[in-house]
Amino acid sequence: MSLAAGVTGTGPDVVEPATVAVIGTGAIGQDLISKIDRSRALDCRLVAGRNPGSAGLRHAERLGLPTTAAGIDAVLAAERPFDIVFDATNAASHLEHWRLLEPLGTLVVDLTPSGVGQMVVPAVTGVRVAAGRNVNLISCGGQASVPVVHALATRFPVTYLEVVSTVASTIAGRATRLNLDEYVATTERAVTTYSGVGDVKAILNISPAVPPATFRTAVHARIPGADAAAVRAAVDEAAARVRTFAPGYEVTACTVVDDRVTVAVQVLAHSDVLPRYAGNLDIINSAAVMVAEQHATAIGRTARAEVAR
Amino acid sequence: MSDVVIYDPTLRDGQHAVRHQLGVDALRRYAEAADAARIPVVEVGHGNGLGASSLQVGLAAVSDEQMLSTVREALRHSRMGVFMLPGWGTSTDLRRAIAHGADVVRIGVHATETSLAERHLGMLREAGAEAHCVLMMSHMATPEQLAEHAAQAVGYGAQAVGIMDSAGWFLPPDVTARISAIRAAVDRPVIFHGHDNLGMAVANSVAAAQAGASIIDGCARGFGAGAGNTQLEVLVPVLERSGFTTGIDLYALLDAADLAERELMPAPPVTASMTIVSGLAGVFSGFKHRVVELSARAGVDPRDVFFELGRRQAIAGQEDLIVDVVAELSARDGRVAALQK
Repeated sequence: MSLAAGVTGTGPDVVEPATVAVIGTGAIGQDLISKIDRSRALDCRLVAGRNPGSAGLRHAERLGLPTTAAGIDAVLAAERPFDIVFDATNAASHLEHWRLLEPLGTLVVDLTPSGVGQMVVPAVTGVRVAAGRNVNLISCGGQASVPVVHALATRFPVTYLEVVSTVASTIAGRATRLNLDEYVATTERAVTTYSGVGDVKAILNISPAVPPATFRTAVHARIPGADAAAVRAAVDEAAARVRTFAPGYEVTACTVVDDRVTVAVQVLAHSDVLPRYAGNLDIINSAAVMVAEQHATAIGRTARAEVAR
Repeated sequence: MSDVVIYDPTLRDGQHAVRHQLGVDALRRYAEAADAARIPVVEVGHGNGLGASSLQVGLAAVSDEQMLSTVREALRHSRMGVFMLPGWGTSTDLRRAIAHGADVVRIGVHATETSLAERHLGMLREAGAEAHCVLMMSHMATPEQLAEHAAQAVGYGAQAVGIMDSAGWFLPPDVTARISAIRAAVDRPVIFHGHDNLGMAVANSVAAAQAGASIIDGCARGFGAGAGNTQLEVLVPVLERSGFTTGIDLYALLDAADLAERELMPAPPVTASMTIVSGLAGVFSGFKHRVVELSARAGVDPRDVFFELGRRQAIAGQEDLIVDVVAELSARDGRVAALQK
């Protein structure tokens, strides 16, 4: 399976790039804008925030992109609906945004842990989605853990799963802090969905360490009779798939003690705007942009077919 | 004479010492004894709080619901307290605890991450429970930062706010400076929770009370992670002699402590070599078992592991880091040994 649709490069060429709006101008929104700006398949036509003085809106202006402080209202007021809207706000706002955007036939790419839409974890689910839908990127912990969880559960008799992520305080914005409950619920749902294991737990730590802690996720699994070499091979294979679009994804520990398996991964960011330790934002945004590029290619083909007729 | 409210987390923080394995009978019997001694608040739960039973920090022997209903039934005078770390437990756990009769709910956050408690403190106020906020690993922040974060917690709705000396790092002047700063910043009761890694827990607690803290934590026989917490049956008479009123019955308190030693713990905690190192390194006392266990298996010095965890500023909840640090030190020791050949 090829996952690298060109996120770190410039994306696939399409007849006409898909029109894009981004709502939310925190750290995740800012990195998203930079990634979209580099994509040939995506044309960012609006960056919508709520605070006129925010660093995120200034960042968008520096990139020469149209900005607004009117939030979702400005997105809805566009002459033609955007092909794709990225929602980088918070879980509660997303419920309202989706209610307003759904009738427009827009693909909504949800970066909040609202748990509303179709879950996407590229290395496990692929990135193809139906048009006019809501796509949910789960959580940073979900993006980092599900490939490992899925690799373990498809090969071994896993009886319990737990994922513990650590995010640097400097990169955890207000929405992240207010959405810890949703983070836990949505991550647990994803782990269950892609492992088939009912007994799961998700935990998030916010670390104030200086220099900031690199984003990491530990997967703890109960696997009776697990063989260390076989576990390592399965985990390495999963990690290689993730690295095709998130090159900073690395296995830092993989131990088997009795029936207890511990796998730790860390993710370094490869981004224009993010510090290296902010791999949590890089992995989720890289996945989101891949979904959008795939959609842009699909609707581009449709447009070409219509012209040919 | 000023009043001090004694808050007893024996059945929550003590769980760390026995890997969260307290059974229903033990919970009930200690809660009855604490109630008989008129201890104002008795806290119960997994060592890391509601919803925290996990491989990361230890699976509990008894479910949260069973712990809550057992202790609730045993308490006639004392109020029941619970503890929760955002990101570990959720609002669902809080609502369930309130439905089971929790009177006081403490939200724990790392000392400089108070904003993680915003939503839960708000939710507790709406639900009508008494909402407290405690800043953990408080040795990692300055008195000014702690005062600022305490004020922030009050802004979110905390009805009492304070600090935990999670690593047992403080000396009495450190405590005085921090409690005084917090007292100057907030008009709510201030909490102090000590650990005994350097043998300072009772002295630190008295310093806290003298600086104006009015809710002081203590555990029977010091039952708690690492070197243990402030020893409750010592704390109470020392506070009384220092001029504070606790309202606790001394004989019944001593009986409760004897019962705790008999029925809750294999042995009372002591300041052993490893817990002194943990305190000096500024590492959360709850890391002890895992550090010792993993170090022994890999053949590395657990003292090196503690100091390295301290250098990395590991916070409570980051137990997964122990695996990495042990692996790194083990590889380093291997290289050193190879060079020496």
